[in-house]
Amino acid sequence: MRETSRFLATTVVTAVAIAFVASPLAAQERAIAIRGGTVVPMDGPAITNATVVMRGGKITAVGANVTIPAGATVVDARGKYVLPGLIDAMTSLGIGSGDLNEPADPVSPQLRVFEAFNPFGDFGSGTSGPLRLHELLGGGVTTMYIAPADAALIGGQGAVVKTAGDNLAAMSLRDPAAIDISLGEPPRKAASAKQRDPATRMAEVAMIRQALVRAQEYQRNKAQNPSLPRDLGQEALGKLLRREIPARIQANAPVDIRNALQLAAEFGFDLVIDGAANAKSQLAQLAARKVPVILGQVSHPYVSNEEIPDKSDYPAVDETLPATLTNAGVTTAIATFSRAFGSLAPSGSSKWLLLDAGIAAGYGMTEQQVLQAVTIIPARILGVQDRVGSLTVGKDADVIVLDGPPLSMKSWVERVYVGGELVHEKR
Amino acid sequence: MKHTRYHAATALLALCAAPLPAQQLLAVRGATVHTATGAPISDATILVRDGRIAAVGRNVSVPAGALVIDATGKVIVPGFIDEHSHIGARPTDLNDRPMIIGPQHRIRDALDLEDPDWKDAVKGGVTSLTTGPGSGENVSGMAIVLKTFGSDLSKRILLEKGGMKFAMGPKRSDAYPATAMGVAANLRQYLIKTQEYVAAQKRWEDGGRQGAPPARDLGYDAMAEVLARKVRVRAHVHSATDVMTILRLKDEFGFDLTLHHSTEAYKVATEVAKRGVSAVVLPLGSRIGVTDDAMKGPFELWKAGVKIAMHTDHPVINQKWLRLSAGLAMRYGLPEDEALKAITINVAEIQGVADRVGSIAVGKDADFVVMNGPWYEPRTRVDLVVGDGAVIYDRSTEGK
Repeated sequence: MRETSRFLATTVVTAVAIAFVASPLAAQERAIAIRGGTVVPMDGPAITNATVVMRGGKITAVGANVTIPAGATVVDARGKYVLPGLIDAMTSLGIGSGDLNEPADPVSPQLRVFEAFNPFGDFGSGTSGPLRLHELLGGGVTTMYIAPADAALIGGQGAVVKTAGDNLAAMSLRDPAAIDISLGEPPRKAASAKQRDPATRMAEVAMIRQALVRAQEYQRNKAQNPSLPRDLGQEALGKLLRREIPARIQANAPVDIRNALQLAAEFGFDLVIDGAANAKSQLAQLAARKVPVILGQVSHPYVSNEEIPDKSDYPAVDETLPATLTNAGVTTAIATFSRAFGSLAPSGSSKWLLLDAGIAAGYGMTEQQVLQAVTIIPARILGVQDRVGSLTVGKDADVIVLDGPPLSMKSWVERVYVGGELVHEKR
Repeated sequence: MKHTRYHAATALLALCAAPLPAQQLLAVRGATVHTATGAPISDATILVRDGRIAAVGRNVSVPAGALVIDATGKVIVPGFIDEHSHIGARPTDLNDRPMIIGPQHRIRDALDLEDPDWKDAVKGGVTSLTTGPGSGENVSGMAIVLKTFGSDLSKRILLEKGGMKFAMGPKRSDAYPATAMGVAANLRQYLIKTQEYVAAQKRWEDGGRQGAPPARDLGYDAMAEVLARKVRVRAHVHSATDVMTILRLKDEFGFDLTLHHSTEAYKVATEVAKRGVSAVVLPLGSRIGVTDDAMKGPFELWKAGVKIAMHTDHPVINQKWLRLSAGLAMRYGLPEDEALKAITINVAEIQGVADRVGSIAVGKDADFVVMNGPWYEPRTRVDLVVGDGAVIYDRSTEGK
């Protein structure tokens, strides 16, 4: 990709500054203009021959008639596509395999997945780099939700993170972002293997209900008597009950989706359904109650981390599900449910998020709907839409440049900016 | 899809499990045909007679009475073929783990033709494949090459002895041998015992069949066919060192070999190529998080002269997305026509059934796929699948 500068002198000065300081901050102070591409902002229709300007880590201008600031680094994007960084709304990436499931207690709301998040390494393969998830960046993913895996009933608190940053704190976008809960086969099977509860779906629901009743009592007692001992798990569930964060409930079988809806109605918490392979069975309910859904890969919707999928939780594969839900008014994101790179059978790999979006586009989704399902829609579901998810002035400068149509097998993500910093270039 | 004789096409669908009546003619007209063995032919006609390709080209005259399907603007490719699948076997039937070497096991004895996955495979344009036992043991048994459609197993089978599955490399620590060393020693010992078994049989034959014949062992019987090169070895390998181990065993025992998964085979591509060994390769579609380096593996192997085939490892990747595995290899450098070969003609050649399937050529089985766009694009849909000359899937009547 060709870069030009409007003012040679500025270029020299800045280049010297960068060479000596090598600080990402220095880079951000200078405007970057990505010029001439097809811009797909997600908050409106695609704009051809348009420019995106970023400065100070934020997007400062988007449109066809944008004045490029003096001294800006100009990136020629003619013939290319400019999108906001993609968002993978469900992963366990950056979590070591031994840290995916805490076996001590199937009800563990006190656990914070962020404390197992390790973006320093390469997860077993690939190019390592400090605080850069290169394989993810190569797929255009700049924001992701990280969660414990699904063997526990209440697995802990998930977080929303960037895939690049100067330090861990800078990568954290929202923590905690939700309470992660699993229904159906995974927690039942994991517990049964250890000869303990929950061994059945009945016990799954009863144990969650008991935990939430205790949490209600804890909040009430603590309010009346602040000197009562603190309980970190109850504090976390308090955030759920006060609707500061939602519950992410993995539910695939119809009965599990029904149970998730029932628990949310009983306790009044905000609900997001993960997996949702049988969501068509509760279509009207999901739409009426405005419960968002985060689907697994369209090509392979089995979200649990098994090489051979457990078909008891899943119906026959239905690639029309994203379109059916979206067109019924259900807020629907497509995610990969990826585990570590290099492991034998993760449910997916975030670097192929657009590939699965492409499949959905063959099964009834419009291109705009599909791209929104991996950008602005997950941003809203994750509660980070004020920061990411669209090319909107004021949002974080998380921008990707593709060398061709976003849904084509042939297209590559050429450049990735996170917070206005160029963090990935196609080799 | 526009049918000139639409009602006839619908009737065909109802009969799709049965072969067409004798002398039944089908002509598919107007598409760009990728035969897998030559340059694409635009505005081509494929003529099918009695379930086989009778003609393909631009100037094919359509005999009176033929059922004509207008495929103008469509893309036609040979039916896709997967050389590594576990379709049609229940998960509990894949690995007979307590028996760590079980060449006498045959996937045929576990095949479930009612598995709904077969129908989904056809929807993805996959018309034949090799399905086989798993990789939990050192030798897990005999695979089978068959078509994905039809109710009569005997008619579906293309090759009954579709290859003996070896699995190289370390295993889970609760299975023994657990290490790559242990697996190699175990295999070598079994192959030597098979040689001794064969020699004992031969001594008895040569000695005028005096006395009681040596006791038969179905495992050694099966492995003897591998040593006699009547059955090829399909070896599950991931790391480069395991590739070298199976190549050494091939050098020692002289069997025919195809590498499977072959994740790091690209690192020793010249060693693979100089032995004429073919490789069933990554990428495993979108489900396995492999690095960009490994994703270039198929391209590197092809450059080194290795015949390659893509695979799904169904149910690891859903069977219908075989074409995207080839698309991903293309994304990482493999030319488009080579990527198509890797899910059609190359696979048929590796399987040893290229006289029947793998390309759109006169005399071959009429297995082909009509698509509404480039075969490698995720958003392209399969519109129509023809298998043994009959329409076995028609999207226009499926309602989605």
